[in-house]
Amino acid sequence: MSSQTSLDFRKNAAAALKDGSLRAAMQNATGAISRKRGDAMTQVDFEALREQASTIRMKVLDNLQMYVDRFSDNARKTGAVVHHASDASEARGIISDILKSRKVKLVAKSKSMISEEIQLNERLKEEGLEVIETDLGEYIIQLAGESPSHILAPAIHKSRQQVGKLFTEKLCCDYTEDPQTLTKIARKVLREKFIRADAGISGANFALSESGSIVILTNEGNGRMVTSLPPLHVAVLSIEKMLPSIRDLSPFLRLLPRSATGQVLSSYVSIITGTRKGGETTGAQELHIVLLDGGRSEIVKGAYREILKCIRCSACMNVCPVYRTIGGHAYGWTYPGPMGIILTNLLTGLENAHPLADASTLCGACNEVCPVKIPLMDLILKLRVDKISAGLAPAAMTWGMRLFGAAAASPTLFSSSKRLAHTFWPLIRWMGGKDVAGRLPEPSVSPLRRRLK
Amino acid sequence: MRIQLFGTCLVDALFPQVGESLLRIFETYGVETDFPQGQTCCGQPAYNAGYHKEARKAAEHFLEVFAGSDLIVTPSGSCAAMVKHHYTRLFQDDAELLAKAEETAGRVYELTQFLVHVLHLPEKGLRGKGKVTYHSSCHLTRMLGVCEEPLLLLKSMQGLEFIPLPDTTRCCGFGGVFMAKLPEISMALSSEKADDILLSGADTVTGCDAGCLMNIADGLKKKGSSVNVKHIAELIAEGL
Amino acid sequence: MSKISKVPRFLEEAAKAMAGTSRVESRDMLAMQVLALIPQGAAVFCAEQTEMEKIIAPLLQNRVADYRKATVTVEQASGAIAETGSIVCTSEAAKSLQASLLPSHHIAVVASDMIFTDLDAFFASWSSEPPTHITLITGPSRTADIELNLVVGVHGPEKLDIVLF
Repeated sequence: MSSQTSLDFRKNAAAALKDGSLRAAMQNATGAISRKRGDAMTQVDFEALREQASTIRMKVLDNLQMYVDRFSDNARKTGAVVHHASDASEARGIISDILKSRKVKLVAKSKSMISEEIQLNERLKEEGLEVIETDLGEYIIQLAGESPSHILAPAIHKSRQQVGKLFTEKLCCDYTEDPQTLTKIARKVLREKFIRADAGISGANFALSESGSIVILTNEGNGRMVTSLPPLHVAVLSIEKMLPSIRDLSPFLRLLPRSATGQVLSSYVSIITGTRKGGETTGAQELHIVLLDGGRSEIVKGAYREILKCIRCSACMNVCPVYRTIGGHAYGWTYPGPMGIILTNLLTGLENAHPLADASTLCGACNEVCPVKIPLMDLILKLRVDKISAGLAPAAMTWGMRLFGAAAASPTLFSSSKRLAHTFWPLIRWMGGKDVAGRLPEPSVSPLRRRLK
Repeated sequence: MRIQLFGTCLVDALFPQVGESLLRIFETYGVETDFPQGQTCCGQPAYNAGYHKEARKAAEHFLEVFAGSDLIVTPSGSCAAMVKHHYTRLFQDDAELLAKAEETAGRVYELTQFLVHVLHLPEKGLRGKGKVTYHSSCHLTRMLGVCEEPLLLLKSMQGLEFIPLPDTTRCCGFGGVFMAKLPEISMALSSEKADDILLSGADTVTGCDAGCLMNIADGLKKKGSSVNVKHIAELIAEGL
Repeated sequence: MSKISKVPRFLEEAAKAMAGTSRVESRDMLAMQVLALIPQGAAVFCAEQTEMEKIIAPLLQNRVADYRKATVTVEQASGAIAETGSIVCTSEAAKSLQASLLPSHHIAVVASDMIFTDLDAFFASWSSEPPTHITLITGPSRTADIELNLVVGVHGPEKLDIVLF
């Protein structure tokens, strides 16, 4: 688990900037993945698709409780047990109880950002369970004892050399830095875990209200394994993942893989509806679906509700100039990049995450690529307004802005402030430090307005 | 024709030579320029930092100073975007000011928009020199949609060799208050932008926003580079 | 998209997704084509549940009864989607879910007239009570988790061959 907090964002970022191999890894990876996304989007009418997707998501958010209730009823009819958790602690307790009651010893996990959010692995380890992450990237960081730095490619910050060393150290295999060989090693190790696992824990990309189904997209096949091999399957997801029905899936299947990795479709799309029916001999015998609220039913009522449209594609962070330079750990929590700035503040509170609101140049690249048209830049701006109202902005800044406001409304004050700036330039440079004032040119002794009088 | 020039506080205080270049261009092409002395700032620094009350003060003052019917031309994509897109948000609760904001927004032109669509300068035999590359400022391209106009101007300049900049729309790291709040990241981004510029082989980098150019200049300076940094207005004026 | 153009579109998209693709003109040719795709001596699993599986199965060399011991699985997919080059496998008729997942080579045969034009057409065909599992399979398993370097063959099959009939 990351020991860095969001409150230390500036310090975290400065440290990340000094890590040359991290910066190189981030630049290469995010550059490549953004290009792939761009190429893939030329295959479709992106604007029309994302308008369609946004509309469906807003329809759900406008009536979220209804869709959640409908999902719960219909999922139960198909044989699933549905649990509602109001917060992380309750979710951890529910899952832990289920696993304990079935005497589970080994859990095979496929990717779930919600399980990161609620810190599930730590809790299960405390209870003496062995939890193995089966998504290759998650497996790598689990071996390394780190948290994910990207919501889709958790080990994006690691070079192949680092992975090679890690495998040699933890798996006692011969050193190799060839990604193909490393993957085959992981395949072998994890295959045994899949077969032996007493339970599988997964997330879900979408939940279909009408049929009570969950939808999981994977490329590796671990999603299929974890949800069908062990006798017990626990799916944990947050409530806003709802879609009305299976017939609403198409635009999302067109947008998510393209936005995420530039693929037409991920290798596997699993649509799971309940437990074994009439004569089926394979698949989980028990399915428990844990629906996490975690503050979302409040967020959906407020000014930030559009963030709940997010389908976790990671396109926003892949184009974010800040994220691309510092990576995900600096943000201090589960979700990094533009969507992370907003979610972290909403879910953990402004008082714990407000420095993240500054982690944006407001360049707007995120707004351009979001496949569900979340106005990310505007929500970040709104966080800044709320931060000030909450008294969390530095006093010096607030006073400075008050002066600015007064000067902006008064031409005399405005021009004399520039004269003052010029006169006291050395002092201002010293106060601002070389990192700020040192990068500004000296104010002109003859500003434009004077020349045009 | 007559226009009102909104110099922007950065140009006014730090880069008056850009303003002078503008005046020479307008004079050459028969545009009478009024520089309302009461102008201060569009309010963007306060707005972007979340201080909307203070931003409103600046915005109200702007609307007053630039009242009238002339086109308003400004050598800054981000300032133009502020007036055209965000002023209406600031005045949602005041019908009169909202109407004023909408009316004023309709008269605002970012410089290259004006030079291309009103003065048709690409057809007027502009001249330039050197190997020039171009940085696409974020608000200019993403909020105003001004992507082609600067390129049309540069490519029409006889004697100027245009070199495309790789990843030209990637943010330079200025971000207004960002460069002061998170200077480490800001400098890392300007350093990357400088690397791209050096790789391009250009001897000059140009753009439409003084804030970006200032940050890029700092990035280049830190690498000991002698690449010139000039606002597009300066390049055009030099060729007159 | 007409029925005729669905087939080329499907084959094109499936190939882009790195599936091996081939087509036979008649059902009689199907078994031969499948056999040609199986490596010499490989242990093959076939559930022998569908009509086509029943035709192919008796001709397989080195058949195993347990797919966990197989390196190749031959099975009939219930449908396909031209837009994405995907085949569709479901849990209907007590079909095994893991037979096409555990072995490293998956050979899927699918009828051309079971190809859906696009995702919309496919999803519209389902009622509000889908089977326990619907799996869209688009190419072999893959990952790019190490330096975004594409590696084919992770947990699921390393090779997918699709034969249309």
